[in-house]
Amino acid sequence: MTGGAMKGTWATELRDRIPEVLGREIDIFETQMDLRSRGDVDEKLFAETRLRRGVYGQRYDNGHRYDGERTRHLEYREHPTKGVDTMWDAPGMVRIKVPYGALTREQMDVLAALAEDYSDGISHVTTRQDIQLHFVHIEDTPDLMRRLAAVGITTREACGNSVRNVTACPLAGVCKTEAFDVSPYADALMKFLLGHPDVQDFGRKFKPALSGCAHEACGLVNMHDLGLIAKTRTENGKVLRGFAFYVGGGLGAIPHPAQLVDEFVTEEELFPLTQAVCRVFARLGEKANRGRARIKFLVAKLGIEEFRRLVIEERAKLPHDPRWTSYLVDVAAYKETPARAPGGLVTNGGQSAGFRAWHKTNVRAQRQDGYAVVTVKLPLGDITSDQMRSLADIAGEFTGDNVRLTVEQNIVLRWVSEADLPRLHAALEAVDLGQAGAETIADLTSCPGTDTCKLGIASSRGLTAELSKRVQELDLASEEALQGLRIKASGCFNSCGQHHIADLGFYGISRKKGNRLVPHFQVVLGGKWTENGGSFGLATLAIPSKNIPEVVRRVTGRFVKEREPDESFTDFIGRLGKAEVKNFLQDLTAVPAYEEDPSYYSDWGDPRVYTMDDYGEGECAGEIVPRVEFGLQASEREVFEAQLFLDAGDLPKAQDMAYRAMLTAAKALVQTEFLDIRDDANDILREFRTRFHETKRFHDKFAGPKFANYLFAAQEAGADGGRPDQVRQRVQEAQLFIEAAYACYEKMGTWGAPA
Amino acid sequence: MTPVESKVDALSSPEFNVKLFVENPAGVDLEELIPVFHRWIREELLEDELPIDVAGYARVPKGPGVVIVCDHAHYYFDERAGRPGLRYRGRRVARGEGEEGITRAFRSLLRAAALLEKEPALGGRYRFRTDQVEFGINDRLRAPSDAQTLAAVRPALESAVKALYGKPAKSMALASGPREPFMVSIETGTSPSVEALLGQLAAVAG
Ligand code: SF4
Repeated sequence: MTGGAMKGTWATELRDRIPEVLGREIDIFETQMDLRSRGDVDEKLFAETRLRRGVYGQRYDNGHRYDGERTRHLEYREHPTKGVDTMWDAPGMVRIKVPYGALTREQMDVLAALAEDYSDGISHVTTRQDIQLHFVHIEDTPDLMRRLAAVGITTREACGNSVRNVTACPLAGVCKTEAFDVSPYADALMKFLLGHPDVQDFGRKFKPALSGCAHEACGLVNMHDLGLIAKTRTENGKVLRGFAFYVGGGLGAIPHPAQLVDEFVTEEELFPLTQAVCRVFARLGEKANRGRARIKFLVAKLGIEEFRRLVIEERAKLPHDPRWTSYLVDVAAYKETPARAPGGLVTNGGQSAGFRAWHKTNVRAQRQDGYAVVTVKLPLGDITSDQMRSLADIAGEFTGDNVRLTVEQNIVLRWVSEADLPRLHAALEAVDLGQAGAETIADLTSCPGTDTCKLGIASSRGLTAELSKRVQELDLASEEALQGLRIKASGCFNSCGQHHIADLGFYGISRKKGNRLVPHFQVVLGGKWTENGGSFGLATLAIPSKNIPEVVRRVTGRFVKEREPDESFTDFIGRLGKAEVKNFLQDLTAVPAYEEDPSYYSDWGDPRVYTMDDYGEGECAGEIVPRVEFGLQASEREVFEAQLFLDAGDLPKAQDMAYRAMLTAAKALVQTEFLDIRDDANDILREFRTRFHETKRFHDKFAGPKFANYLFAAQEAGADGGRPDQVRQRVQEAQLFIEAAYACYEKMGTWGAPA
Repeated sequence: MTPVESKVDALSSPEFNVKLFVENPAGVDLEELIPVFHRWIREELLEDELPIDVAGYARVPKGPGVVIVCDHAHYYFDERAGRPGLRYRGRRVARGEGEEGITRAFRSLLRAAALLEKEPALGGRYRFRTDQVEFGINDRLRAPSDAQTLAAVRPALESAVKALYGKPAKSMALASGPREPFMVSIETGTSPSVEALLGQLAAVAG
């Protein structure tokens, strides 16, 4: 691109770089925005549509905000909403899925630019290896998506009731304890599940994770809807790769450990078995009560034996898909290329204390001799655009494209030649990214909490920022027994900060003192981070936010003093028991009167008097929208596009699009009974004819088969050029056909016939 | 492409931003600005804005600092490149094109700077120097960071600075790398007070 020359749009500038499918999807989303802004799409349907594109709500988007004295109405311009009670103009959050956290330098550059152009200059690394941008306006999202698509990233299905980011150990491929590198499997699984018809009808989200081994924490398989741990097995002298296959793990208010479905699923069986799980979940998972709609509730309800039986039964019925095994070619070809030759660190005593501290906590030797993984510790997952660009340059010099985001909200650089470590450290320090203490008690994790999340009850980021300072002041990380402990906080019980698997975990709640509210955190102690998030902590007491630093000081102090040799923190808390922990912390539950100490009545990092007035309707769950409604919505968009072609005088395209719109609506209906219908016009027509037309289910009460006949007539007419009046009529007929499809669907009941 | 066309594009962007630096960077404490900015919202002190929230990034070195997020603007007390200062950034809707838009961005920035200088909670510790100003456009499509954008923007920018300071700027230079958002560093050659500049704007408008 050249300087101040007249520009087109991002769509035209990037036309040659955006894969056709992604470009089309983004165009479709833009059209849906257009339709919603005219009020032509229902707000719930649009909300789920945008969520499935990663476009999320944010605090205050209902048009209200408490200013510390009263709740004010934010006077956004009049416009249709973008979801129930969600103002169109209110800024929101965009979640960018980064499968297994793997980023290239080019992608980092684009993320830096997007944060500057559309957000506030900060990219936020989440606990699921995503990047979130806050304060983004919906009208910027199509261009934001295009710029991502041009570097191979999609936001599709980053939110909503869909398969979320596929996460994996950031050390996959370089770790000494792994069975094999799970990276290419994570990549292939993400591609296989993205937009798959079997994952469109979930009642809630579905999070997969992969680990290379069972003992370390990295993949956190135990808390995932689908968890896969790499394993090998030798049969007839041949080493087979496979996975221990878990389902139904999850945190949330009541954490559930994942259940083992099969202790060894071969790599050839991995995708079909996953597909079968998705089908069972889509068919039998809770839809009405979204508080119980995650797969963990289904597994708990059925029992793992019955769930396993159903999955195996479903697996047997699946039509063959060549992609089940074709991905193995990519797995075999998968390779990372280091930028530099391996080398050894010259330890001549000349290194600074800062380097030595950093080396101790942030550097890990790789499985490959002469290489190391370096963790770049980010404050609560935040990185500025300037830092992101610099880090891309540093990666270019030292490691190549081998950069990954971690679930502890950091970034790792892999394949660093050990000989380069001093220079790398200096380069990181120059951009304020060389801080020691990664993966220690000084490396805290937090969800966004009340900073930006609509469901936030207390300020988890405010708390963890304060705790970071205190941990530093008390120099807790220098105490050997404490160094490896983890502190994690969530703004509410939904557990996005993963507090259940922290040694010291906190989640936001509110309590009343007199007639005032006081921000509190529930203290959860002794969770296990290792063994893939091996066990959950003990909920103890609700403590006012302002006393939480004292909780940390007391509990860590007692652990240092009273632990038995080699006793873990989890075991220590278990030994102490809930009663003793309560006893020990009880005095910290007291809240002074407001007049005595008003500081208790506002939260960390937020001086406003605390309130729950800003608490909003969450979008985590999204709206539960059956697949058929998405199909019908797509047909509406197509007929809208047909009209645009007609208005522009492009008759052949208008005619074709009108026919396609009818086919899409017909397919949506057919899919309620026949999920595996191919995207082939003849198949759709045949199935529609036998299932809906001949059975008269599509007939109109007064007009009989009239609307179905529009579709059949359009098929017979084919692509032959029609006169303008004929094409206009075809577009009108398509509109009527779609309305008839909606009427038919309504007669069938909300979820249609069972899939 | 005519010169007129090439000017129109960068200068029609709504994403103008202007920054003034503080006189005493060592006296800056980002944390103390958070309650101040919340109060500004409560007391509706930012004219022509619909403020939504305050975002605090004190923990991030050389970052966006503390931000008042508004519907059509962001006000940052940022520390980018280690140089603390107040930055106004337009968002989404252009408040005038070309010179008019630039002047309006200056006006919004100067009003906020005056508020901060007079802020009782800060005891007059935040004062701004006006001999150096940054002007930028966060819009890589219309205003990539290169000499051509500077050439396209320069006449309007020179004219706006001259009207504001009463004399031409001493220098204007591209201050951003090709991957960064477009940014011009302006040496004005004089450092009138924030109040004086606001007075000048009022006189010009009047
Ligand atoms: S844990 Fe609660 S506050 Fe935190 S991001 Fe999740 S829903 Fe929001």
